[in-house]
Amino acid sequence: MAGRRAALKAIDWAAFAERVSADQKPMFNALKSRSDGIAAKLASLPETAPGIDWAFYKTAVVNPSLVDEFEKKFKTLQIPQPADTETAKINAQEKETAKNAADFIQASKARIVKYEEELQELRNMIPFENMTYEDLPEKFRDPTLNPEKYPYWPYKLTSDL
Amino acid sequence: MMLSRLALRALAPAGLKSSVALPSLSPGMIQISRSLHTSQQHLAPVPSRPETGGKVRHGIIPEEFFQFLYPKTGVTGPYMLATGLTLYLLSKEIYVVNHETVGGAMVLGIIIYGVKKYGPSVAAFADKLMEEELARYENLKKAYIARCEKGIENEKKQQWRAEGHHYLFDAKRNNIAMILETNYRERLLAVSREVKKKLDYQVALQQLKRRMERDHMISWVEKSVWQSVTAQEEKESIAKCILDLKALSKTARASL
Repeated sequence: MAGRRAALKAIDWAAFAERVSADQKPMFNALKSRSDGIAAKLASLPETAPGIDWAFYKTAVVNPSLVDEFEKKFKTLQIPQPADTETAKINAQEKETAKNAADFIQASKARIVKYEEELQELRNMIPFENMTYEDLPEKFRDPTLNPEKYPYWPYKLTSDL
Repeated sequence: MMLSRLALRALAPAGLKSSVALPSLSPGMIQISRSLHTSQQHLAPVPSRPETGGKVRHGIIPEEFFQFLYPKTGVTGPYMLATGLTLYLLSKEIYVVNHETVGGAMVLGIIIYGVKKYGPSVAAFADKLMEEELARYENLKKAYIARCEKGIENEKKQQWRAEGHHYLFDAKRNNIAMILETNYRERLLAVSREVKKKLDYQVALQQLKRRMERDHMISWVEKSVWQSVTAQEEKESIAKCILDLKALSKTARASL
């Protein structure tokens, strides 16, 4: 009789739950309840089958050779392990997800850089007290101060001057 | 003021030709095509605006005027100059004191009174307007900064979440391992249960066989006994039974 097939990796569900965003919570809950169900079912089954009291049957059954035959055949019987066809698929899926995640992280880092540039610009700005009315719309563009739509003197964009 | 504006308006279409098409203001005017900015652009930061105006004496005369005259004339020089000039203007009748002077003095007095009385509140009002505008822009800036910071925080959180994908796949693999294990255990259990069932069947079969044999034997014996009993014997035995019952009923009543 084989023991446990594979050592299960302990999963920190609390840490997992923290990482799940709000919009994926229902999916996470479904996975969690399903996993719990599977684990409960596994726990309800004994690790090895309950043994058969051969001695009792040898005395109880009139024909002990029959019991002997049963015993011999039962002991030699190899119960096949169920074939694992899904792990490979999941590994492939994981690889793809890892790639997507890496891409996402790259893009996210680029976005952070952009944000930081903007922050830098905002923090290093001339204080408003010292700004002229030409400085102001460079960062704080008033829609009514759109020089392309509503031109004002000198009727040139600042960049063209 | 008006003249300079007119001049600028005349200049404007020159720069306008490329970007925005406005109808020419006056077709007869000479279109001067030159930039107003002749010197190079200064990229140095703009000096900050002074908060208050320059220092003045007597409410209107700039301090610089006194500073300018001080080396030549000393402290009293400017006052001497003012007194002398006034006397000169009056004595030569360049300035004639007439009713308009009185009117002018009264207007000046009213102006001074108005400035002294309403000046501070007007200044406070103007300051308030400016403060409000500044506060508005500061708030806007703060909101922009907060938005950027929030964005960065959000992105970092998303990254952290994206890094957690291994949990999902661990869970999936775990589930598969557990399902397989469950399946295997179920098979083990089924096999041993079936074998046990077969053995139990054997046992039960034996027991059934034995019971049927016994039952058959009993019924056979009973049958042969009944066959051996005759009608006479039966009658006698029933009469004996009735007698016995009577005797029993008497003793039972007595014992009560």
